[in-house]
Amino acid sequence: MKTGTHILTNTLLFSVLAAAVAVSVIFTISIGSTEIPISDVYGIIKDHIFGGDAELEAGIWAKPQFQIIWNIRMPRVLFGALCGAGLAICGAAMQALVLNPIADPYVLGVSSGASAGAAWALLMPLPFFEGQYQTTIAAFVGALFSAFVVYFMAKRAGGGKLQPVTLLLSGTAVNAVMSAITSYLIFRAKSPESIAAVYNWQMGSLAAAQWKTLLLPTVGVTLGIVIFTAMGNRFNMIMMGDDDAAAMGLHVRPFRAVMFGFCSIVVASLVSVTGIIGFVGLVIPHIVRLIARTSNNRVIMPLSALLGSIYLMWADALARSAFGAAELPLGIITAFVGAPFFMFLMIKNGYGGSRK
Amino acid sequence: MTITFENIHVRLGGKEILKGVNLSTINGKITGIIGPNGCGKSTLIKTIFGICKRTQGEIYTDGTNIREYSPRQLASMIGYVGQDSAATFDFSVEDIIAMGLYARHDRKVSQKEAVQAAMRELDITELAGRSILSLSGGERKMVYIARAVVQGAETLILDEPTNHLDIKHQLFLLDHLKNSGRTVLIVLHDLRLASHYCDHIYLMNNGENHADGEPSEALSEENVRNIFGISGYAFTGANGSRDFSMFGDSMGQN
Repeated sequence: MKTGTHILTNTLLFSVLAAAVAVSVIFTISIGSTEIPISDVYGIIKDHIFGGDAELEAGIWAKPQFQIIWNIRMPRVLFGALCGAGLAICGAAMQALVLNPIADPYVLGVSSGASAGAAWALLMPLPFFEGQYQTTIAAFVGALFSAFVVYFMAKRAGGGKLQPVTLLLSGTAVNAVMSAITSYLIFRAKSPESIAAVYNWQMGSLAAAQWKTLLLPTVGVTLGIVIFTAMGNRFNMIMMGDDDAAAMGLHVRPFRAVMFGFCSIVVASLVSVTGIIGFVGLVIPHIVRLIARTSNNRVIMPLSALLGSIYLMWADALARSAFGAAELPLGIITAFVGAPFFMFLMIKNGYGGSRK
Repeated sequence: MTITFENIHVRLGGKEILKGVNLSTINGKITGIIGPNGCGKSTLIKTIFGICKRTQGEIYTDGTNIREYSPRQLASMIGYVGQDSAATFDFSVEDIIAMGLYARHDRKVSQKEAVQAAMRELDITELAGRSILSLSGGERKMVYIARAVVQGAETLILDEPTNHLDIKHQLFLLDHLKNSGRTVLIVLHDLRLASHYCDHIYLMNNGENHADGEPSEALSEENVRNIFGISGYAFTGANGSRDFSMFGDSMGQN
C-alpha cells in the first residue's frame, strides 16, 4: 500500500537525517580558519565528554586545539544546528498558519522586528536588567509586534481575507520600517562596539554564539519542535482553510494567535543572538515536502528541524572557511540560496497563491 | 438528530443577509434548502460553526443550544462540507480524510479503519494514496464528504455537494445519502434533484423563509414562478416517484 511505503520511507528519511546531523557536527567543527583533522575533533570531544579530559591532561591533545574545538566552534556549530532547526520549523508553522507557501519568519517581517527589538535593548538598554534576557525579551516584543502588524495589515488590505500578495507587501513594508529603526539606532549609538554588533546582526552571523548563549534558544527550539509536531494534525487542518478547520472542530483564531506568538518566541530567542538569517524557513520546509512527498505536518515538522540544522551548520562552515580568516556573514549565504528559491516559488505558484 | 435554526439574523458589511430564518431538519431524512443566488442559503448553514457570525437567533441540536458544545464536540455530531475548500498544499487523500479524526470521540475504532470505512462508504478507496492536487473538483468533493463522515457525525450539512460532480456521481451521492439513514441538510440548485431526493424543502428568498413543506408543496407552480420567475413545479408521479417538471409540457401528472 502506498501509505505504508510512505511511512517507511519517512522513517528511513528521519533516521538518515538524524545521523547526518550528528556527522555534520563533527565535520563542520573541523572546518574553519585553522583546519583540524576530523579524527582529532572526534578524539577531543570524546575525551572531554567521556574521558574527563584524561587524554588532554596526558598531552595527547594540544590545549589550544581543545580551546578552539570545545569553547569556540562547538557552541557555534550547536547554535547553528539550533538556529537552522528553529527557523525551519517556524517557517513550516507560518506557512500553515497563513495558508501560504511563501511565508517564513524573514518574509513576514518577524525576524527584522526581532532584530529591531534586540538592537534597541543592546544600544539603549533599560538600566535595571541588562544582558541577554533583556535582549531576548525586546526581540520577542519586536517580533510579536511585527507579526501582528503584518497579519492585520494584510488581512485588512485583502478585504478580510489573507491574500498572498497583500501578505508579501505588508511583510515588505514592515521589514523596511524595522530595518530603518535598526539603522537609526545604530546611527544614534555611542560606542563603536555596539555599532559593530548591530551591523553584524543585520547581516546575520553565528559568531556571537557561546556556551552561555545556548540555553534560551535550546529551550525555545526544543519546545518548538515538540509542540509543533504534537500539533501537527491541527496545523494540517488549518492548511485546509479557516472554514474547513472550523467545521472540523478547531478553535481557529486562538490556535493561530497562540502559535504565532510561539513562533515569535522561538525566532526572538535565535535572532537576539544571530541577527537576521533569511529564507531558511522558506527553503527547508519546501525541500522536505518535496522529498517526503507530503504536506502532513506530523512528518514535515521534525524533518524540517533536522534538515534545517544540517543546512545551517554547513552554510556557516562555508561562511567561516570560504575567504580564509575573513568571515563571510552567514546571512549573505542563506540569501544567495534562498532568494532565487523564493523567486522560483513565486513564479511556479503565481505569487504563491492557492492553486485550485 | 434534529437541528433547529431559530430566528437567525446575519449582517455582513452593514447589509442584512438573513432576516430571521427558521429551519428544522428531520431525523434520518434529507432536508433541502432552495432559493435564488444570494438569498442566504450558504450563509445560513455557515452560522452553525460560526463561519458566519449570527447577530441574533439560536441553533439547537435535539433541543440543546449549540453554544453549550465546544467546536470539537459539535464537529463530532455534525459534519459540514462547504462549497470550496482550499487545496494549496500537497496532501494525500488519506491524510485529508484523517484530519476529520480530530473530532471523533469513539476511540475504539482504529483510526486507519475509520478512514478506510469512510472511503468505502463514498466509493473512493482507489483514490487513497493520490494527492489532492491531482484530483478533479468532483473527486475532491467526495474526499471532503468522506472527511466529514470520519468525524463520526451522524448529521451532514452539505453546501451544493453536486456542483462539481458528473451526473452519475450526483446520483450516486444523493442515493447514498438517502439510503444512509443520516440526517442531511443540503443546499441544492437543481430543482429536479431537490424534488426527487429531499423529504422536506425550505424555499428561501431574500434572506427570509418563503415556504416549506414536501417538495410538491414548497415547489408549487406559484412558488416557483414567484421566486425563480420560471414556470415549473414539483410533482409525485404515478409510481410514487417525485420529480420536477419544467419547459411547459409535463412529463407527469399534476
